[in-house]
Amino acid sequence: MLTDLTSPEDPADGLAAVVALRRLAEQLEAAEVERAMRAGWNWPDVAEALGVTRQAVHKKHAKRLIAAGVELRRR
Amino acid sequence: MFHRFTEPVRVAVIDATAIARDMGAMTVEAEHLLVSLAAGNDPAGHALRDVGLDPGEVREAIRRDFERVLGRVGIDAAGMDLSANCRRTTPRWGASAKQGLERALEEAKRRGDRRIRAEHILLGLLRAEHGAVPRILEGEGIDRDELTGRL
Repeated sequence: MLTDLTSPEDPADGLAAVVALRRLAEQLEAAEVERAMRAGWNWPDVAEALGVTRQAVHKKHAKRLIAAGVELRRR
Repeated sequence: MFHRFTEPVRVAVIDATAIARDMGAMTVEAEHLLVSLAAGNDPAGHALRDVGLDPGEVREAIRRDFERVLGRVGIDAAGMDLSANCRRTTPRWGASAKQGLERALEEAKRRGDRRIRAEHILLGLLRAEHGAVPRILEGEGIDRDELTGRL
């Protein structure tokens, strides 16, 4: 996916890329957290791997994963 | 502001949330409002379709823009689809969409209209200098001033 990270000449292109990368990162996070939880990971491990607090990752993803029918480990 | 929206605008605003979710966006942005406006049976919808922007074409243009933008920093996102996981989240309103609605309110006031109509929303979106909407219009070869003039 990542070929050769370059800095575009026009700042508008660089700033637009920041927005797109944020969106991509959000989508990747949603996909990978779900994959980890389906594989039996718990919240503290997912939080540590993402470098955020357990509360943050829980708040961000729990509702969605419950709606998706993922069986969540409590601790 | 919602009480001043005409019925087509209410529909467009609600549809934009569904479109954003369907496209895997975590926030509703100006470009999602553009998709819903393009479906409208009102002056905004007619003006957009007259220049070749039906809802399907706008969605395709959003996808192409995303890939093109990432391509400029060396990332090949063609064929990537991570959106499935996001479809269960209700997207929040993003800054570009909020700004579009604020500008729509200004356009309505400027025209002495108490109601906010679909064409005011489109005029609000067309005022953006940066972001996906102006890039998409440019990419599609659509003259912003000419489109503004149709409304």
